[in-house]
Amino acid sequence: MSREFVALAIMGIDQHENGVVAVARALREAQMKVAYFGKFQTPASVADKAIAEDADLVGISCHSWEYMTLVPQLVEELRRRGSTIPVIVGGSVISAADGQKMRDAGVAAVFSASTDSERVIDCVRVLCAAKKRQTIGR
Amino acid sequence: MSMKTRSGVPLQRCYIAPDGSGERPGEFPFTRGRLSNPHANAAWIQRELSGEGDGRRSNEQIRYLLEHGQTGIDVIGDAPTQSLLDPDHPLAREAVGTQGVSLCRKQDFIDLFDGVPFDCVSISNSAPGFFALSGLVLAAREAGFPLDQIRGSILHGPLYTEDCCYAWHFPVELRVRLALDSIEYCSQHMPKFHAYLEDTYFFSESGLGSVEEMALGFVQLRHLVRKLLARGVGVDSFAPRIAMLVNCGMDFFEEIAKMRATRRLYAKMMRDEFGAKNPRSLSVAITSHTSGLSLTAQQPVNNIVRGAIQALSLVLGGVQALEISAFDEAYRTPSKDAHIIGLRTQQIIDLETGAAKVLDPLGGSYLVESLTDQLESRIRARIDEIETAGNPEELSASGFFHNIFQKAMEDSQHAVEKGDVSLVGVNVHTMADKDDTLLREIATSKIETWHSLTTEIERFKRNRNNSLAYEALGDVAATVAGSRNVIASVIAALDASATIGEIATIMRSAVGMPADIFDHPLPLPLPLQDAGNRDVA
Repeated sequence: MSREFVALAIMGIDQHENGVVAVARALREAQMKVAYFGKFQTPASVADKAIAEDADLVGISCHSWEYMTLVPQLVEELRRRGSTIPVIVGGSVISAADGQKMRDAGVAAVFSASTDSERVIDCVRVLCAAKKRQTIGR
Repeated sequence: MSMKTRSGVPLQRCYIAPDGSGERPGEFPFTRGRLSNPHANAAWIQRELSGEGDGRRSNEQIRYLLEHGQTGIDVIGDAPTQSLLDPDHPLAREAVGTQGVSLCRKQDFIDLFDGVPFDCVSISNSAPGFFALSGLVLAAREAGFPLDQIRGSILHGPLYTEDCCYAWHFPVELRVRLALDSIEYCSQHMPKFHAYLEDTYFFSESGLGSVEEMALGFVQLRHLVRKLLARGVGVDSFAPRIAMLVNCGMDFFEEIAKMRATRRLYAKMMRDEFGAKNPRSLSVAITSHTSGLSLTAQQPVNNIVRGAIQALSLVLGGVQALEISAFDEAYRTPSKDAHIIGLRTQQIIDLETGAAKVLDPLGGSYLVESLTDQLESRIRARIDEIETAGNPEELSASGFFHNIFQKAMEDSQHAVEKGDVSLVGVNVHTMADKDDTLLREIATSKIETWHSLTTEIERFKRNRNNSLAYEALGDVAATVAGSRNVIASVIAALDASATIGEIATIMRSAVGMPADIFDHPLPLPLPLQDAGNRDVA
């Protein structure tokens, strides 16, 4: 199976990049392919780019509460385009209760500040593998 | 304040070597403090960062803090304000009022500073400098305070803003010009106001060490000073009102040495390189915001301890004003509870510990003096290295600084992950999430997005006199395209009911950039695009 391809982005006008930069490095060191779409993304722009680039997974970095509205919209935008690309979110601002709201909205995994890189990497591997199997099966 | 210890030993205001040799506080090069005894027994300015919702809500916060003993104000704008976007911009809507106060028009500043005595409370603005200055001027005018009485500060970070702060999407030349115009405007109209706070906090939160933090701060400061001198602005007309806002992390003695080395470097530089004569031009005021990056989402209560230790190091280093990053920093801008804890921490250090009774109490310590010398020479060497690499504006545009910040972000996170640095609750002495409950609920309480403010601004734009606003915006464009000082035209535009989002957009147009950098439809037509619709009032 080919390398995992992870798209990372920050949506809205959240501009805290420390987290996403660290995650990108950890995933690259785990031999994954990473595309960072950058800041100032919208749910629609992330969905369009992720589909166009054929990403296995979309990771959203959240350090403002904009994610509460924008992440469910992203899941919606992907599904409306017929995509099954899973979405994961991570960031220090995500409380346990809000993390559950994200899962309820269709987010595949939620990482808080206390998640270590190993767990993120393992989870990304599993989700990417599932996505690839699904794509092949279609 | 009693100048005795608890057991009655008398204390002097400062101590020197037994043989009378060596530097005294208040003497060039000011390693040991800015002034020898500026106002005996007066503490540093004690304030906490505030701002949420709209101007009215943030005014309540300010009043609450002043009632509880805060002696200065530092207001932070929300993410749209920091990014020069109005609350009705499509990309900004979900961020209105949550991470600071929403400011986009004159009335917001009037609401924000309602009832604040401009002449006796120092007002610091953690928002785009030229915009905060313009709003402050209008609010003071409305309240009937003459400009020459206003105290406080604005910050400028033109070389680094786009890389590790809230981007304005302005070219570096325009960012530099707005900083210079602000400083020049204040040198003419606002002699008590710190028109230039060199803010090394925001960019060092990428994870920079002390040497890199201060070297980059000095590179920017030196660039702006050179540019002002080239304009013919006399160094002693603006230098007395330069201050530095430094970061403060957990390396206790290094932070103290950093402040001492910074004052010494600054004094030598201003005298020997820029020819300053006024003693106030040589002794830089240092303020600080303790490091948010050093705080943790895990076991948030531990952040109170970190804040207290950092604040103590700042007081020992001779800080002029300080604010403690709140225990809920990892989650939000400070809550009411966080505010009071930060303020009380400062008051306890001030009134109970006696740490501030004696100036530069660690002067003469072998360790602190050695660290001060080492930091001074390392910072100086790094300044030279960066300045040798090229013109700072070109370096900024080429991504030179961007790469430094990105690398710092990677390295600092990596160091924690690998355990090279200890972070209690993160990589040592961790606690299961289910047990990590102390203050968690308060720390994670959210501020709802102020959607009502978006509606209010949409209505405001519909109901104002558009022709006046557009005419003033046209003048901003003409000023930016020409060489006149921009500040007066920005003040006039805000006064004519234009908003900061519109002012920023027209500025971009004036320098040949696309009107809307995000490729979203603008909520309101601007004069350049909508000449036929001007009289819709």
